[in-house]
Amino acid sequence: MFGYVRPSAARLTDEDKGRFGAAYCGLCRALGARYGTAARFILNYDFAFLSILLWPQDEPPRLHSRCIAHPWRGRDYFPGNAALELAADQSVILAWWQLQDALEDPGKGKGKYRAAAAALRGAYSRARHFRPDFDRATREHLAHLRELEKRRCPSLDEPADTFAQLLAGAAGEVGDPVKRRVLEQILYHLGRWVYLVDAADDLAEDFASRSYNPLICRFALTEGKLTDEARESLVVSLDHSVRLMAAAFELWDFGAWSGLIRSTVYEGLFLVGRAVLEGTFQANDMALRIGGRNKEQL
Amino acid sequence: MTDPYEVLNIPSTATDDEVKKAYRELARKYHPDNYHDNPLADLAQEKMKDINAAYDAIQKQRSGRAASASGGSYQQSYGGYQYQQQAAGNPAFQRVRMAINRNDLGMAEQLLGQIGDHSGEWNFLMGTICYRRGWLDDARRYFQTACQMEPGNAEYRQTLNYVENNRETYRPEGYEVFSSGCGGNNMCARLACSYMLCMGLNTCGMRVFCC
Repeated sequence: MFGYVRPSAARLTDEDKGRFGAAYCGLCRALGARYGTAARFILNYDFAFLSILLWPQDEPPRLHSRCIAHPWRGRDYFPGNAALELAADQSVILAWWQLQDALEDPGKGKGKYRAAAAALRGAYSRARHFRPDFDRATREHLAHLRELEKRRCPSLDEPADTFAQLLAGAAGEVGDPVKRRVLEQILYHLGRWVYLVDAADDLAEDFASRSYNPLICRFALTEGKLTDEARESLVVSLDHSVRLMAAAFELWDFGAWSGLIRSTVYEGLFLVGRAVLEGTFQANDMALRIGGRNKEQL
Repeated sequence: MTDPYEVLNIPSTATDDEVKKAYRELARKYHPDNYHDNPLADLAQEKMKDINAAYDAIQKQRSGRAASASGGSYQQSYGGYQYQQQAAGNPAFQRVRMAINRNDLGMAEQLLGQIGDHSGEWNFLMGTICYRRGWLDDARRYFQTACQMEPGNAEYRQTLNYVENNRETYRPEGYEVFSSGCGGNNMCARLACSYMLCMGLNTCGMRVFCC
């Protein structure tokens, strides 16, 4: 995934920000502990959010420690749990297969992908051992996307469905049947939303390189940007997925994470979607810097 | 029995107005309109039943204390989930509707495939199958075709409006952003401000570890 899933900072309490920062740092540490320092570079907000959705009921106390990124003041973090481990394992598997996918694409400039793949190879072997089902599902997802790409599939929903199903599968191990159903619905539409937002974000680049992009095929675009009509259709579709996530969220008590999830599904995703469609989204610049930041900066 | 005040998330010392306000907020949240053709509609219906029962119980408890306690008629408007059923027409479409109601979408699609006449109802039902699967763009296109073929059909129009319109949906108090598009009002300015706030937050030099 790609770092699009953000809460709306304006709706978070200091406690929410502290918790989110601790989960984010917890995921970073889980990646480091399971896969080494190189794997920490694939950390992103999307998988932090995934771990929050899957968070177990009992919660260990937060710890505080310095790390390579925060060598002086350190940061609070949650010690490893099943949700953080799952998010770490899935991050590695998905990053690996995305690199393989990028390496298969025709075109120049593959040096950085080769270097990243070499750095991640050992981590991927371990992650595949931990999550063979997710690894297989990811490979199948990418193979299916290749097939859709070959026939220039004119549907938005069909390619988005493969990624959405992949993400919804993360809820499969949840024991409570109601929670599982709620999470499957949230994760399906989160995956769908991420896939489509990413397609919108990459549109100009894909058009220029003549790469497959579902938006080009669906709306028969003749240039690397959305027409007004295409944009309106995409907005309706994105918004409705967010709306279905919010409706599902209301059917389960997410406890202390409720404020953070609420701010994401009722506002954060709309803000990110709009920034992407406006062409103003910058993954680096939009960082919320939630954990450990000074209050006056907010 | 669960404490009705706990269900409405209010203290037992809440005033009648506070009880009514809490009930109204929850009823708005779990209203059938928010779960139209939603695979989780049954869970929302259970929530709604609990909320109605809790409100009833509190009203009963308090009726001896204050003769003017009211709310019954108001509660009626949230009385339950009544999904619209199409009056009997083509029996083949009736079978498709029954399969959709059982959530047997594969069977529903198979039955639709056997019908050669792609009428307004055919498109509507295909749209409903897509919607239940989460294929929202395809669903909208089928609903649009159904509305074009039968502009006077209220069921098709209502469903298309539901898919296209975010404005009337429940959102928590204070939340005003309801779309990733531009609403043509001062929403754009508010969104721009919010985004600039986010941009302004970035003072961390090390992106990957930034939190």
